[in-house]
Amino acid sequence: MRLSADVCVVGAGAGGAVVAAELAEGGADVVLLDRGPRHNPDDLTARPPEMLARLYRDGGQTVTLGSPPVGLPLGSGLGGTTLVNSGTCFRTPPAVLARWAREHGLELDGGVLDPCFERVERALSVGPVTPELAGRNAEVARRGAAALGWSHGYIARNARGCVGSGVCAYGCPASAKQHVGITYVPRAEAAGARVLTGAAVERIAVAGGRARGVEGLRTGRRRVALAIDAPLVVVAAGTVETPLLLARSGLGAASGQLGRNLSLHPATAAFARMDEVVDMARGVPQSLYVDEFAADGIMLEGIAGPPAHAALALPLTGAAHAEAMADYRRLAQFGLMVSDSSRGSVRSVAGRPLVRYDLCDADLARFRTGLARLRELFETAGARAVHLPLPAGVEPRRARRRDLKLMAFHPLGTARADASAERGVVDGDLAVHGVDGVHVADGSVVPSSLGVNPQITIMALATRLALGLLAT
Amino acid sequence: MRADPFESWLAAGPAPARWGMRALVALATRPRGAALLRRLGPVGQLSGSVVALRRYDRPEVARRLGFDAAAVVARGRALRRAEGRP
Ligand SMILES: Cc1cc2nc3c(=O)[nH]c(=O)nc-3n(C[C@H](O)[C@H](O)[C@H](O)COP(=O)(O)OP(=O)(O)OC[C@H]3O[C@@H](n4cnc5c(N)ncnc54)[C@H](O)[C@@H]3O)c2cc1C
Repeated sequence: MRLSADVCVVGAGAGGAVVAAELAEGGADVVLLDRGPRHNPDDLTARPPEMLARLYRDGGQTVTLGSPPVGLPLGSGLGGTTLVNSGTCFRTPPAVLARWAREHGLELDGGVLDPCFERVERALSVGPVTPELAGRNAEVARRGAAALGWSHGYIARNARGCVGSGVCAYGCPASAKQHVGITYVPRAEAAGARVLTGAAVERIAVAGGRARGVEGLRTGRRRVALAIDAPLVVVAAGTVETPLLLARSGLGAASGQLGRNLSLHPATAAFARMDEVVDMARGVPQSLYVDEFAADGIMLEGIAGPPAHAALALPLTGAAHAEAMADYRRLAQFGLMVSDSSRGSVRSVAGRPLVRYDLCDADLARFRTGLARLRELFETAGARAVHLPLPAGVEPRRARRRDLKLMAFHPLGTARADASAERGVVDGDLAVHGVDGVHVADGSVVPSSLGVNPQITIMALATRLALGLLAT
Repeated sequence: MRADPFESWLAAGPAPARWGMRALVALATRPRGAALLRRLGPVGQLSGSVVALRRYDRPEVARRLGFDAAAVVARGRALRRAEGRP
């Protein structure tokens, strides 16, 4: 199969879908490719194992190598990881943009990104969760934070007509979450973009220092070779896959930074046994944040889900686990995310990504403090018992790396942006250094951890890239 | 026939993890295997959590705990149709 276009966009997640729609609406002839399928909302079942198998790469079982291992779930298909995310929307903190200006020569501070944030937020119907929709799980944490005098608030989300189904991470059965698969992708198609699923890009074709298109495989009833001829290629395959695709194509390696500088926002969660009925799966799972300790790199955010979700995460075994699960209706859960200084890497082993990440001392200290804060939050809210994600008898201040049970949802940085070709893979306009016509628009360009959830940052950067390309 | 959701999840894992996970689940569902795993710390906890994922995903078990996946999906579908969302 061979097609030609003005622009080929690889990956239909947070970055790729936005670039494709903006370019197509601006008059460009766009082909948008994604390795995963087009998910039918009628097939969403609100059952965690089945949805993990269908909506996530490798069933959500991707794990980093290192100390400690970190679960790293990634979405797959039209919408990418936005299909399964919690819908939390934060703009890039101004202090982070100022640091990027100082450390990476990126001119994105001083309100430069504001029009892009506004454009994205409009497209995704971003607005704050109401206390009623936030549910009783959030109310437990809100009560604790208020009593302690900790800064907190209801989260802004990309949702329309949300009824608090409680299964954001397993696909929204009401299509209330405005993920890019039901917002930007249809806009791209309406503007004439051709969207191909089951299209795995193997390499970017380059000749004479310029992009010529991409090559790959289309899976379906038959596997067929796929080639797209295009003078402009936008890579948006996500932080784990983009560096591998660039490396396979012999691009972006000159600085020595390709595949490095991986930040993750490692996270964990605690449970509390309450006297009141919580029914954590009724309401928006991630509806409240506590940012009292954000300056120390510690952010507390809601998390919740159906019994199967809780059973998988509950840090108990045997009879204690069964007893706590019998009390599921009175269980509350809240999460802790660290703005990490640790840095990992991604490389290819036997054609598959191998993610290496070791938690540094500073981040271990953040987890120790954060876990103690989570316990304080729940105890102040009236918990009968708090179950921290630590082995029995281990106090937060004594926790070792191997005691932590970590997940991460925000991989960033493996093709980082830096104005200098010696320090970054892409420049401030997200063009790959050393080649013409290849850009990157996904989490991989984000040069440091953000301290907040990244989808709006990624989409705003993608918007800026698209509008910039249309203007040239 | 629709595949068992838990089986589909196990099958979706990357090859080496998939084999390891299957072995752990097989052990964890036998009394002597479960006793052995309990002595293995994090591995024991992982296998217990995975077995619990299957148990608490069963509609009759989840319903008893106040979560009815079929009802959540039916309400979502009805809203989607009524409000003209994709
Ligand atoms: C459970 C969960 C909850 C989250 N919650 C939030 C939240 O509430 N708020 C927030 O801001 N962020 C959240 N995130 C993170 C956020 O969704 C991601 O940071 C964001 O989607 C990343 O965007 P991306 O464009 O880099 O990659 P993705 O959105 O992952 O898209 C990459 C796409 O590229 C495709 N692809 C990969 N390789 C190829 C190839 N070779 N050829 C073709 N296609 C390819 C993939 O199939 C995928 O669809 C969450 C993540 C998870 C896992």
